[in-house]
Amino acid sequence: MDLKLYLNLYALLQRDVSTKEQQRAFGLEHAVLKHKPIAQLAAWEKRYIDLLKRPLLSERVTSYLYIMTFLLGTLSFILGLFSGIALLSYNGHEPVNVVYFMAMVIFFPLFTMLLALFAMFKSRSNSNILMHLTPAYWMEKIAARFAHKEESFKKHFNMDPILAKWIVLRRAQCMALLFSVGLLLALLGTVVTRDLAFAWSTTLKITPDGFYAFLNMLAFPWREFIPSAIPSLELIEHSQYFRLGERLSNEMITHVEQLGEWWKFLAMATLFYALFLRTILYLIVTIGYKRALKKSIFSLEGTSLLLNNMNKPFITTGALEGEGVVFSVSKDVQMLRELESVYDFIQGWALSSSFLEVLNEVMKVKAQHQVVEVGGSNTLSQDSEIARKSFGKVLLYVKAWEPPTLDILDYIELLLEYAGRVVIYPVGTENEGYQAKEKYIQIWVDKISMIDTSKIWIKVP
Amino acid sequence: MKKHPRFAVVGHPNKGKSSIVSALAMDDSVQISDMPGTTQKQRSFPLKVDGKVLYELIDTPGFQRPRQVLEWLQKEKVSAEKREERIRLFINKYENDERFNDEIELLKPIVEGAGIIYIVDASKPYGQEYETEMEILRYTGQPSMALINHIEEADYALEWKRVLGQYFKMVRTFNPMSVNLENHISILESMAQLKEEWIRPVKEAIELFESYHKQMLEKSCEVISHLIYDALSYKERLSLKNEEVQESEKEEIEQKYQASLRQLERRSQKKIEEIWNHKNLEKTQNILAFEEIDLFSKEAASVFGLTRQELVVTGATSAAIAGAGIDLLFMGHTLLLGGAIGGLVGGVGAYFSFDKLSEIKLLGQKVGKHYLQMGPMQNRNFPYILLGRALYHLFIIMHRSHALRSAVELDEGQAFKVEWLNDALKKDLERYHQLFRKEIVVEGEKLTEYARVVQSAIGNIDNKVLNILN
Ligand SMILES: Nc1nc2c(ncn2[C@@H]2O[C@H](COP(=O)(O)OP(=O)(O)OP(=O)(O)O)[C@@H](O)[C@H]2O)c(=O)[nH]1
Ligand SMILES: [Mg+2]
Repeated sequence: MDLKLYLNLYALLQRDVSTKEQQRAFGLEHAVLKHKPIAQLAAWEKRYIDLLKRPLLSERVTSYLYIMTFLLGTLSFILGLFSGIALLSYNGHEPVNVVYFMAMVIFFPLFTMLLALFAMFKSRSNSNILMHLTPAYWMEKIAARFAHKEESFKKHFNMDPILAKWIVLRRAQCMALLFSVGLLLALLGTVVTRDLAFAWSTTLKITPDGFYAFLNMLAFPWREFIPSAIPSLELIEHSQYFRLGERLSNEMITHVEQLGEWWKFLAMATLFYALFLRTILYLIVTIGYKRALKKSIFSLEGTSLLLNNMNKPFITTGALEGEGVVFSVSKDVQMLRELESVYDFIQGWALSSSFLEVLNEVMKVKAQHQVVEVGGSNTLSQDSEIARKSFGKVLLYVKAWEPPTLDILDYIELLLEYAGRVVIYPVGTENEGYQAKEKYIQIWVDKISMIDTSKIWIKVP
Repeated sequence: MKKHPRFAVVGHPNKGKSSIVSALAMDDSVQISDMPGTTQKQRSFPLKVDGKVLYELIDTPGFQRPRQVLEWLQKEKVSAEKREERIRLFINKYENDERFNDEIELLKPIVEGAGIIYIVDASKPYGQEYETEMEILRYTGQPSMALINHIEEADYALEWKRVLGQYFKMVRTFNPMSVNLENHISILESMAQLKEEWIRPVKEAIELFESYHKQMLEKSCEVISHLIYDALSYKERLSLKNEEVQESEKEEIEQKYQASLRQLERRSQKKIEEIWNHKNLEKTQNILAFEEIDLFSKEAASVFGLTRQELVVTGATSAAIAGAGIDLLFMGHTLLLGGAIGGLVGGVGAYFSFDKLSEIKLLGQKVGKHYLQMGPMQNRNFPYILLGRALYHLFIIMHRSHALRSAVELDEGQAFKVEWLNDALKKDLERYHQLFRKEIVVEGEKLTEYARVVQSAIGNIDNKVLNILN
């Protein structure tokens, strides 16, 4: 898991590179990774990475970050080296004040590490005040402004600010580390190449005893192993230095060969406070960074859906292919509003003769020749017999609520060969008082209009 | 012959065969209309899990010339075990005869081993002509059941049941227009009974189907969770032409801001519809009708949102919690004061930001690029309006039968709000809304948590609401 994975996933998830089905197939293919989401995502990224436009966003961002780290790191190192040299510069008249150097290798690192710790744990806010206090943050800002590069991919890409914070934090530790290495090298370099006279000086009322105790405390990590790396009380007394008065010169001059002893303490202080503690912090920040990276990967829009699609069964229930659409064009059909009182034949499609009797009574119509049921449980030959015998005007009742089938259309067509005129009458159910619903009549009208003849009429209300 | 269970849904034209298949297969692409003969070809709807078919529903055209078919079949007397052979013969003989297109389409899957689901409409009286169809089905010798549909109010179920009982070993009732998980599964269970060896695969399918349902609900809640977060944290920016802000520019950014939020809502609704396989909902313009109740109209605010008093209360409590936790070290409050001040500020803030959406800020002066920014959303009521609308939409979509082709209507909203929003939920939600509104990136975990709250809100809604809605 690295930043590249995050960036590539970001770029891939922005595009629909695979369907749900493919994602599930991928999940099944890599079943061993089922409970390792990061590995699963990494494998998925690898499969589709070639679909991304080159140069990859991840390459651009990481190379930008790399260059930035390299530049800032080098800068920090040089800065550390030169500040060290400056602090230790000894012009032969005034001794080197160890308090300055201690400030640089103990107090300043402790303070910035504390800031970093706060920034780490106040993790959610991206407008983190503490971040703004660290020098590394501002160096980065300034460097970014010179590089001009930030803007160019920021337009398309917004890194998770929490992740960005951790990147900056991690790099800040790196820079501080290099800065301290610079300081240490400066110290060792000057110790080797020149004879240094260290002294301490302060406006505060601190006795050599107090100072000794304080230094002893600071030296707790190494006082057991390297006792020589703690200045003795004697040395401290001898090296206290006042800008005014005689005392200094005499004291110091007599013990001048001792004054160099300070370097061991300073070197150990640098090693422990500036380098060792910082390294620990760097490791902690690295862990935090990895966790932030993981979180950011899971927070990317689409990650959880992708994992879901990979790991849950892919279920479909719908039809596999589309359906052709049927268009029915309805033509005109002749409508009849009033029934005549007498018809040559009255027939009912799937209507029993008793039902027909009632209908005739209600509709006040009579048949000249025959009232008869067709369709229903009749055989086809019975029906064609009836049709063949029909002539003149035929009234054909149909159940309006039943849709017209081709069976009935066959019969009507046959009937039309013999009858002079056929009136189709869609009737309602008994409960409806034989009055058919409008929409059913419409269905019949539409269907009947498919028969192309002037001999057919349909009875409408 | 295929191994998995197959079910052919057959019957008279226009009795709701396609509606039933559409509902059971959750496929809204099926052609359904009150014109008989709408379905012209058999069409398969498999339940597929990772590419494996667990069962298959087959929609078929209705019987058009059953008497001719039956007469042909009975022309030669054959013994019972030869009947299936005779049907095959019929299919082979008339395969290319247009007259029997419908019958062949519906008989084919049956002779290939599909179980028969015979659909009737019990809102119409029984008629003798149905016996021909049932005879043909019996002739095939395949296991069969009858499914009673009620297309209209009238009820002739008694007379239907008396007849159906003679032809089918199982008679069930089903309403394709309002399905829920429960009766969906119960129908599947009945179908499994048709053949002994189908019980196990169908049972497996039912389990998967249930988890599928759960998946869809979870996904939908995730979508809603993202919507609320995206909308609350959304920032609209507008570059200025001059140094001075023009009144028209303020209006422009406000318009754009609102349009963007509506867009977010539309997209989220679309996603949810896709999750639930309602892919064609837009074509029937249901969504348009739904969206006429605008996100920013008074009506929507009063129906779904909270009243001013409700907001002051939730604002105060949640801000107090927030105040007590963080920021104190750095802001200079003492520990106890922090909570109190937080509460006070939260409550008052809620009171004042009731009507306002968001401040319009002028930004970037130092950098030299001047632009206006609107957002994140400051209106305390807004997330409840948006969430209420989203829940309502989800609720309707997840309960909507895929057989419906009509428009969705949005009313009875007040009753709906009472259903999902209670005090405990309010407190829960407010915490997240406050987080979303801060200009910070919210972790994926938080959104998942919020999605769970949304799901519990959906759980609060009683299915009674559906009856009010329908
Ligand atoms: N209200 C209501 N309408 C229904 C119900 N079932 C079907 N319909 C309506 O009845 C009509 C016919 O439904 P379809 O599903 O197309 O019927 P079908 O049996 O597939 O018809 P064909 O394909 O023509 O044989 C449509 O307008 C449906 O909306 C129901 O349970 N309630
Ligand atoms: Mg159909």
